[in-house]
Amino acid sequence: MESFFIRYRNLVVLLAVLLAQVIGLAVQVRHPDAGPNTFDSPDGSGVRLIRLWANALVTPPERVIHWVKLGAESLWLDYLDLRHVREQNQQLQQTVDRLRLEQAALLEDARQGQRLQALVDFQQKYIYKTVAAQAIGTSGSYQSRVFYLDKGSADGLDRDMAVITPDGIVGKVREVFPHSAQVLEVDDQTSGAGVILESTRIRGILRGNAAGQLQIVGILADNRIQPGEKVLTAGGDKIFPRGLPVGVVEKVLRDPERDAFIDVIVKPGAHLDRLDEVLVITSTEPRFSTEEQQDLAASESQKGAEAAAIKEQKKASEIIAERLPGLIDPNLPPDQQPLHDSSNPNPVAHPPQALKPDRFTPGVAGMPAGANAGSSPEAKTATPVEAQPAARSSPRQEDGAAQTGSRPAKPAPNAEIKAGQPGETQPSNPQGNP
Amino acid sequence: MPVFAANLRRDLEIRRYPMLVYALAPLAALVLQAWLPRLLGRYAWFDLPLIVTVYFVLGRRSPIQGTLMGAAMGLFEDALTHHAIGVNGIANTAVGFVAASLGVRIDVEHYTIRMMLCFLLSLLSAGVYLFVYRVLLGLELDLPWFTEFFKAVGNSLIAMALFPALDRLRIRE
Repeated sequence: MESFFIRYRNLVVLLAVLLAQVIGLAVQVRHPDAGPNTFDSPDGSGVRLIRLWANALVTPPERVIHWVKLGAESLWLDYLDLRHVREQNQQLQQTVDRLRLEQAALLEDARQGQRLQALVDFQQKYIYKTVAAQAIGTSGSYQSRVFYLDKGSADGLDRDMAVITPDGIVGKVREVFPHSAQVLEVDDQTSGAGVILESTRIRGILRGNAAGQLQIVGILADNRIQPGEKVLTAGGDKIFPRGLPVGVVEKVLRDPERDAFIDVIVKPGAHLDRLDEVLVITSTEPRFSTEEQQDLAASESQKGAEAAAIKEQKKASEIIAERLPGLIDPNLPPDQQPLHDSSNPNPVAHPPQALKPDRFTPGVAGMPAGANAGSSPEAKTATPVEAQPAARSSPRQEDGAAQTGSRPAKPAPNAEIKAGQPGETQPSNPQGNP
Repeated sequence: MPVFAANLRRDLEIRRYPMLVYALAPLAALVLQAWLPRLLGRYAWFDLPLIVTVYFVLGRRSPIQGTLMGAAMGLFEDALTHHAIGVNGIANTAVGFVAASLGVRIDVEHYTIRMMLCFLLSLLSAGVYLFVYRVLLGLELDLPWFTEFFKAVGNSLIAMALFPALDRLRIRE
């Protein structure tokens, strides 16, 4: 017996090691009553201990490498490569100002939405608190799309917290250690998130495929889904708050297994392959965070200041307009109007008198009033306010106009002010004729 | 007597390294394997722990040591993923055993042979991984074979540069 083990000790050791690992796997994998086998996501205490040890061994060197990389990048970006920074800063400041105004404009809609949601007993969760974290390492295997953060339970992280970037969602926290955390990316084959297409409002489940692409599965064939459409989180998975950007539709493919269904390939908004800094949503509340409220207050004040500035400008222009010499002064008698002031540097040009008046000449007696006014070139070019008194003028007024001779169709300055009020054109006669 | 002679020959050809190299080289491989994909993204077509395992196992020429080293490295890799612990462990255990068994029988000093071995053992590792995952455990997993092929090529190329560098660290008697 002893010689058997000695003779075949290599194979015996091999089989013993393999058997031990197979038993270990059998403990971890569950066989449900229906459907394929599953790997329990929450690790047992023994498995978790192994992961903790491995993580404790790998994370410190990764931190050191990450710090060195950050230091080199900082040296280059913050000191050496500062070209165009001022221009970019100005552009960013303009963008911030514009976004603040837009945010203030959207604030009322958001508040109204909150009130409506409270009425229908549906509370929309807003991102209340986030923790910024650095990605320091990966699993090292493309079959397991996870990465590690430099923050852990000591920083307030917990399982199933959403991990995002401003560009789009990234994944969820799968395992938490004291000073690090493992994040499962949304493009992993075992990942899942509820999403909705922005314009068509079609819902689906987002997951990764073998090639590392994001795809929405379980959607019935629909011609309305076109490349370029935005994809947002639907909020039903209790991980990601609703409305976060996910990406855009890249292409639509037939489901190879089910004819009536399609697979929508999504181009992720976040750069999942090269993540540096991410935000972990540690708290969602049905109200805005303190920081957001401060931003909104700043936006409100900025918006108010801008509105006050515009009002001041209008007021100043009105004051200047009052002080400038006008052509019409309602407080002066007609003969003393600035219009007749010879000192006026810009006198009103009167139309020259016709050498041979014909039926088209304004104010020619014998012509029908309406035809005269309507056929007159001056009346045609006159504004409706100016043309109205001429068209409505009585023969008596025409007589008066004929008497004046020079400006029959042109109403007096006061008539322009009170135009459109029948019966009030009489005082406008500069000659005082009835 | 012939057996003794064979053992003597094998003992003479066993490569020995400082303990620091035994400790740091696998650790460096694991750390770099976890960190480099952040720089290279989805083009990280290599498996440094597997390469280091193959290198040391070929040099030591002991199937037991190869088995244990492969199991340890594989379990360590599994621990960094979110998959069940043991899948990579079984795959690398098989690779370690096969590599050590081959190392006893063939001349592993030749660079080309070591490169080819690295290529074939990478494919073997992928095959065992898929077998364990889909057949033994009954889990769903799509394994793109072109990626595994590129990974095997990448392992061979890295081995071509890394093996001579590690050879310099061996203890010469």
